[in-house]
Amino acid sequence: MKLSFSAEDEQFRGEIATWLEQNLCGEFEQLRGRGGPGDEHMYPDERKAWERKLAEGGWTCIGWPQEYGGRGASIEQQVVFHEEYARAGGPGRMGHIGEGLTGPTLIAFGSEEQKQRFLPGILAGTEFWCQGYSEPSAGSDLANVKTKAHFDETAGQWLINGQKVWTSNAHESEYCFVIARTDPESVGHKGLGFFLLAMDQPGIDVRPIEQLTGTSEFNEVFFDDAHCSAQDIVGAPGEGWKVAMGLLGFERGVSTLGQQMLFQNELDEIIRVAKLNGAATDPVIRQRIADAHVGLRIMRFNSMRTLSGGGDDGTLQKEAMIYKLYWSTWHRNLGKLAMDVLGPESEVLEAGPYELNRLQSMYLFTRADTIYGGTNQIQRNIIAERALGMPREPRG
Amino acid sequence: MDFTFSEDQLLFQESVRDFLVNEVTPEKIRESWESETGRSPELWAQLAELGLTGITVPEALGGLGMSALDFVLLAQECGYVALPEPLVHTALVAVPLLTDIGGELAAQWLPKIASGEARVVVGLSQNLLVEDAHTADLILLQQGDDIHALTPGQFNLRHNESVDPSRKLYAVEATASNIVCSDVAVITACLNRGALGNAAQALGLAQRMVDLAVQYTSERNQFGKPIGSFQAVKHHMANVAVQLEYAKAPVHRAAYAVANDLNSASENVSHAKVVACEAANLAAKNCIQVHGAMGYTWEVDLHIFMKKAWALANSWGDAGFHKNRINDFILRADTPLGAGNTFLN
Repeated sequence: MKLSFSAEDEQFRGEIATWLEQNLCGEFEQLRGRGGPGDEHMYPDERKAWERKLAEGGWTCIGWPQEYGGRGASIEQQVVFHEEYARAGGPGRMGHIGEGLTGPTLIAFGSEEQKQRFLPGILAGTEFWCQGYSEPSAGSDLANVKTKAHFDETAGQWLINGQKVWTSNAHESEYCFVIARTDPESVGHKGLGFFLLAMDQPGIDVRPIEQLTGTSEFNEVFFDDAHCSAQDIVGAPGEGWKVAMGLLGFERGVSTLGQQMLFQNELDEIIRVAKLNGAATDPVIRQRIADAHVGLRIMRFNSMRTLSGGGDDGTLQKEAMIYKLYWSTWHRNLGKLAMDVLGPESEVLEAGPYELNRLQSMYLFTRADTIYGGTNQIQRNIIAERALGMPREPRG
Repeated sequence: MDFTFSEDQLLFQESVRDFLVNEVTPEKIRESWESETGRSPELWAQLAELGLTGITVPEALGGLGMSALDFVLLAQECGYVALPEPLVHTALVAVPLLTDIGGELAAQWLPKIASGEARVVVGLSQNLLVEDAHTADLILLQQGDDIHALTPGQFNLRHNESVDPSRKLYAVEATASNIVCSDVAVITACLNRGALGNAAQALGLAQRMVDLAVQYTSERNQFGKPIGSFQAVKHHMANVAVQLEYAKAPVHRAAYAVANDLNSASENVSHAKVVACEAANLAAKNCIQVHGAMGYTWEVDLHIFMKKAWALANSWGDAGFHKNRINDFILRADTPLGAGNTFLN
């Protein structure tokens, strides 16, 4: 056990810190601290421009292997990158689905041709992705996919029909990866395919969903004979579930550290407000601030433990199951703490119509955290059955 | 950056676990409750034989010269079996305090601790009572800002029953004065190690209660199915699993800070103590609940572990004490805010 960074890593830290200082300014200055949880709808075009700027500096996809255009950065370097990015107030990453999910999935499961075609746009910060998993009838029962993929022999391409829902940033994306049923007779996780679809086509209709924040970040996506060329299925027809589950594995990992740095900024903002308005002298609030601090440190220590290879004894797998439940519950509590620190002010909006301040927006947004990506209840089922080995619940 | 334990550390943990699980069974613990001292000289001799009483004693004085980081996994195993013998107290509290005091006192007592001939305990003002004072050959007792080294004849004991029948607690009244240390930093470090020992044992206790409850709910049938298949039961256990798994890294982080004498040690230890004891308390609460009425009986072994967990939560600083230490750190006027400042310790 050695809990410090090497001289090389500290040099790398200086490099990214300097680059951010020299580039996160001018037209990008307004993006500092923006676009994080609850604020994702803000400045989409400017944040896309920022992605291109990052790409010019070689700061997108740093964890990808060098042969695919990444830096092949070590875990330590990725940690350092996330720390410095958050310290500088770097904006929420528009490219995180492509960089964190599509890219690693294609590198692991994609054909050479798919890698050549899709990875460069992600690297360059010019092509953005969204994720087509959930459907009206496939929420917690994620494998209950009704969207169908039919191979049209004469046109030599796939036709996709059905509907996805809760699709974040579908309206800002060039591409979507979609799981759809290739075998119409199949049920559950068998008979699915994993498709890469261009969003700009007549067969796709994106309709924003208004959230309880009054803003729209996610969407319904309708597929009516949407086209997908024959070579744009990842893996074989019927192997979609395997690819989709492999992808979910990429959702944890280094990106969790970036998320935690954003959380730290939120907590620090709450502490700042509490010191300013006197809430920090209230013993109950003080205890809750201590709890929040402790919870965040727990996440950090555990991420570091996981990333430095504590996986030999099965902890890595356990970690993946536990992390979602832990951070979402912690973040929901943080939202409540923010409102209690604001006290009577917490009710008063910035302006009409329905303009929330940052903490109010965060408070409301955290109500989604314990639901999306697997509800807390589903997570507990999984932890009990897979991590603790308790008897399985009979399922229909 | 490496947050893992070495192969050697993990192997040592495994061998100690095997030994303790075989030797310190719930039946043996119940027997010890009936004995006069509640302690087993035979078991202590075996622990000494394995090098465990002297694990943190410097090699030059007959020990293994290991650190708090080497010992923390073993302390978890002591918790797992609810070991009545004060091994964690000896290795993490008494020996390092004697080592810090140094000189003649250390040279005289440390080899005897390593060989199992002598038992030494520490009583800081933070604790109401002193553990295992009845079998101690030497008590290091805090009076005001000073530590006194007292041998039998230099103190009077008054026994207090603990909610955990394995714990032997004494009010100690000094009848002599023998100041051996007045260094605040040494006393703080000692308090930190005591709290770290409780945190590590709490992890083991929580794990044991989880294991018992998972086994019970997998075997107990109602409505024609194991009750563990019901979500209402599962979710109780999943909540414990999360708290427990996530309390490990802070405890290991604290052990690292203590072993390396880092400035962050007090804050890290307080963090570890709070979360590990919370995990053990949640384990106690939920594991009783899923045992149903059986969980409320003296017969089922669960209470051996839950009572120790409850007792450890309030010694070497309770949750309020440790949360205040954390607050003093994060709410201090000069603590710099901003990710990358408060985050990195």
